[in-house]
Amino acid sequence: MTTAVNTRRKKGGPGRQRNAWLLHLVLLAFSVLFLFPLVWLVSTSLKRSDQAMQMPPVWIPHPLEWHNYKDAFMYHHDVLGYIPFLQYGENTVILAVLTVAGAVCSNALVAYAFARLRWKGRDAIFALTLATMMVPFPVTMVPIYALYKNLGWVGTFRPLWVGFWFGGAFNIFLLRQFFRTIPLELSEAAKIDGCSEFEIFRMVILPLAKPALSVVALFTFLGTWNDFLGPLIYLVNPKTFTLGLGLQAYQNQHGGTPWNLVMAATTIVVAPVIVLFFFAQKQFIQGIAVTGLKG
Amino acid sequence: MSNSKRETRTALLFVSPWIIGFLVFLAYPLSASIYYSFCNYSVLKAPVWVGMANYRNLVQDDVFRTTLVNTLIYALMSLPVGMAVAIGLAMMLNAKIKGQTIYRTIFYVPSLVPGVPLAVLWLWVFNGKQGIINAVLQPLLDHVASALSIVGFHGHLNAPQWLSDAAWAKPALVIMSAWGAGNAMLIYLAGLQDVPQPLYEAADLDGAGWWSKTWNVTLPMLSPVILFNGIMGIIGALQVFTIPYIMFPGGSPARSTYFYAMYLYDNAFVYLKMGYACAMGWIMFAITVILTVAAHKLSDRYVHYGGS
Amino acid sequence: MDIRKLTMPAMALVLFYCVYQSEKLTRVENPPGPIHITYWEKWTEFEGDAIRAVVDEYNRKQNKVHVDLLTVSDIEKKTLLAVSGGNPPDVAGLYGPNVAQYADDHAVMELDAYCKQYNITRDNYIPIYFDIGYYNGHVYSLPTTPASTALHYNKQLFREAGLDPEKPPVTIEEMDQLAEKVVTRKNGHIDKSGFMPAEPGWWNWGWGFVFGGRLWDPATGKITANCPENIRAYNWVRSYTDRYGASELSTFRSGFGNFSSPQNAFLSGKVAMEMQGVWMYNFIDQYAPGMEKPVLNWAAVPFPHPADRPDLAETTFADEDILVIPRGSRHPKEAFEFIAYVQSQEGMELLCMGQRKHSPLAKVSPDFIKKHPNPYITVFSELPKNKNVISPPKIGIWPEYQAEMNAAFEQVALGKKTAKEALDYVQNRVSLMNEDYQAQLKARKEAGQ
Repeated sequence: MTTAVNTRRKKGGPGRQRNAWLLHLVLLAFSVLFLFPLVWLVSTSLKRSDQAMQMPPVWIPHPLEWHNYKDAFMYHHDVLGYIPFLQYGENTVILAVLTVAGAVCSNALVAYAFARLRWKGRDAIFALTLATMMVPFPVTMVPIYALYKNLGWVGTFRPLWVGFWFGGAFNIFLLRQFFRTIPLELSEAAKIDGCSEFEIFRMVILPLAKPALSVVALFTFLGTWNDFLGPLIYLVNPKTFTLGLGLQAYQNQHGGTPWNLVMAATTIVVAPVIVLFFFAQKQFIQGIAVTGLKG
Repeated sequence: MSNSKRETRTALLFVSPWIIGFLVFLAYPLSASIYYSFCNYSVLKAPVWVGMANYRNLVQDDVFRTTLVNTLIYALMSLPVGMAVAIGLAMMLNAKIKGQTIYRTIFYVPSLVPGVPLAVLWLWVFNGKQGIINAVLQPLLDHVASALSIVGFHGHLNAPQWLSDAAWAKPALVIMSAWGAGNAMLIYLAGLQDVPQPLYEAADLDGAGWWSKTWNVTLPMLSPVILFNGIMGIIGALQVFTIPYIMFPGGSPARSTYFYAMYLYDNAFVYLKMGYACAMGWIMFAITVILTVAAHKLSDRYVHYGGS
Repeated sequence: MDIRKLTMPAMALVLFYCVYQSEKLTRVENPPGPIHITYWEKWTEFEGDAIRAVVDEYNRKQNKVHVDLLTVSDIEKKTLLAVSGGNPPDVAGLYGPNVAQYADDHAVMELDAYCKQYNITRDNYIPIYFDIGYYNGHVYSLPTTPASTALHYNKQLFREAGLDPEKPPVTIEEMDQLAEKVVTRKNGHIDKSGFMPAEPGWWNWGWGFVFGGRLWDPATGKITANCPENIRAYNWVRSYTDRYGASELSTFRSGFGNFSSPQNAFLSGKVAMEMQGVWMYNFIDQYAPGMEKPVLNWAAVPFPHPADRPDLAETTFADEDILVIPRGSRHPKEAFEFIAYVQSQEGMELLCMGQRKHSPLAKVSPDFIKKHPNPYITVFSELPKNKNVISPPKIGIWPEYQAEMNAAFEQVALGKKTAKEALDYVQNRVSLMNEDYQAQLKARKEAGQ
């Protein structure tokens, strides 16, 4: 199943490319549609502010205003309205590390029990786990908020990462599917060598499950990087904002900001995700395919 | 201690994080949420029992109805559009074509753009006067108008005011969501590549054309994936929040983009009517369950589970 | 040595560092020396500079309390969240109309005892600016900078339209006529307009006041959204839509830039007349210096009144930014000491001069007016003293009510509903909401909360 994407057929599917050029034409048209907002984003981010508002639009900025990026970071650095974008970046990265580590560790453990161990009630609990995926977040939002409030955690980062250390249905499911593809003989051989379950988990399964673990890591990272509602509810002090929340505040400032700077800031938030995608493309695509297929 | 007992104990140790997580982050909040939904609860003070009052008020609440209708309309618009784009792209890529990986990357990258920057970017793209869409669209429309003047049409064709016209705000959101179809496209692509080859070969022998193969082989074989994506799409569309929250403060224009989750958020954290918000949450849950069950029921008739 | 053996410890180290750092970033520090109090304020740019100057001055003058100033956007939502999360600032700079909701939710402290201690009474102020913070028999907030509104008009556009720039409209009807004369078109689209009810959009809910309407009856607590005056006002709004077309107006408006930019509708000479507050001068100064020099090309005069209601002359919206002590503040005593400094003539004039507004205090130093850069400052400082001064209703559901009124305005302005339909709807909805809200307040009181 994990090789689904890479399995190339010997023969073409419906309609082998008798009209390959036509197909290319359509695909190119779509490519333009899909790319142009991003091109526009980067292009605006490098414009002078008057050029940004110019009609008809200027596609290639002249001159290239690289300092927009510096300005976006340092916007109003000298006055009160300063938006500490670097601080937001640090906060977001810290949160991402904590959530990714939590999600990988906890879900691997739990998925191991569902995939490789035999115990009473396993299938029932697993079914229940899958069912929880259907609960929309807004249903539990208020009580969880009240819970963290009573713990005195509102205003700290804890509500945004502690939960990740206790597993999540989606990731458990994903890892379980993967763990089940690892031959049982490997575990049995290790058992004969006197390994405990935890040792088997750590020495045998985890190293083999790296692709699946990185998928969990990637998705968790994306989730944290993209989260808006969580920080919106739990973070109150502007010094603790994440990039997403900061970007919203940036756009929301009473003063209003020139679009070129907003677009530069936007690029700064988007770029890491896209760079990450290029480094981890294979895992990404595999992960999407796996998670989507066997619903 | 017997072997199986020990294994059970080990297993419980392994799953314990999830058991705790389940109890603390799901079981407890769900039951608390039921309780709160029968209370007047501002979070600043202890909840006060008010019986069915929240649900009664919901029934009378026009804004609640507006947001619910908005959300359903949005789901009904964005789901088919997104599916058509995703399946269409996947089928085109599935033809053995040069540069498949490059196309795949191009279509996928937009779906990676996080919600907040996405909203900010599209605010700029959709801007009625300075936005790039209208900058391209308006000259086109002017040409069309002048072409039409030959047949006696005299007047202007105006590009839509995407963000300030109640009729165009939702379509704008649908276009944005179609732009993020890359994710679903990958899933369909994987599904397409799982379609057994002999089926096509058999169809070829029968002399079936492209259309007939798509209709009789591809789509039926893809139907489980479509169903799964459809259900996830419904759940996602019902919760749409971040992008309209940023792009359309207060659901402007004229509440046409005021969605369920936004109203729920406003009730909970702006008006501090947490009990009311919980009641809304439960109704959302009920709708999700009903739609999911309905989708499954439908699937019994139309979805083809091959191989099993 | 095997590098790979180091990965686990290294990862653990990174993890611990992140936990440590995440805690450090959010911890409330209590360093030795003066007591630090946190003060959240919404202002940015020069308005932010003005409060910063006051805070710096206060911090310099004494060494018991040190005020840490933080800029917070969406402050009225964030503060409520922070209070309900149990983690509020010691002082928060909210908006005047927030008082009732915050007080009903027990989110802010009563300041009566402190006021007595520092001898702060209603007599110190232009009355309306004290009253905004006074609710259910308690003082909940004290003002920072006040506002009052007046008609701002662009003399240049008047001249271009062949109008006498020294003769601003006195009645609404005159204004409508003048407005029509200013309109110019380009390529069949409106290029310049005389007046737009939707600009700047901050009082969309309040046009009824200009026609003598009220949104609520303070004596009975009844909602009066659809009183005849309010319907008349929204009919007037609708008349602009009917004259120019809803889509034409929204096309025109989408070309306006941000409020605080040279593309601002008024500053860029797109709209000749606007109701604006005392702050408008600053933006003229900053973004449209051509309106000031070489000749003064704008003026502020009392907003017109309906011709048949001369008793409504000099109607003005009074509003103010306020300081409150959120419940849960760790240092309320010190917080009030700072607030009291802001209420002193020295602190207040420093702040109001910095923001170039008038002072909410009854006593103003002669220098303040003399040195004030706004040529029309006395218009703004005198208007709120008259009987037609209006401030937003002090009811707990005001955020919802205001949202409803704004939604009704939009529907009327877009031509989707008639004024009566829209306001009847608001009346029904908000009355129910209000009854429910009052009942809940009562229930809570009976439950001893």
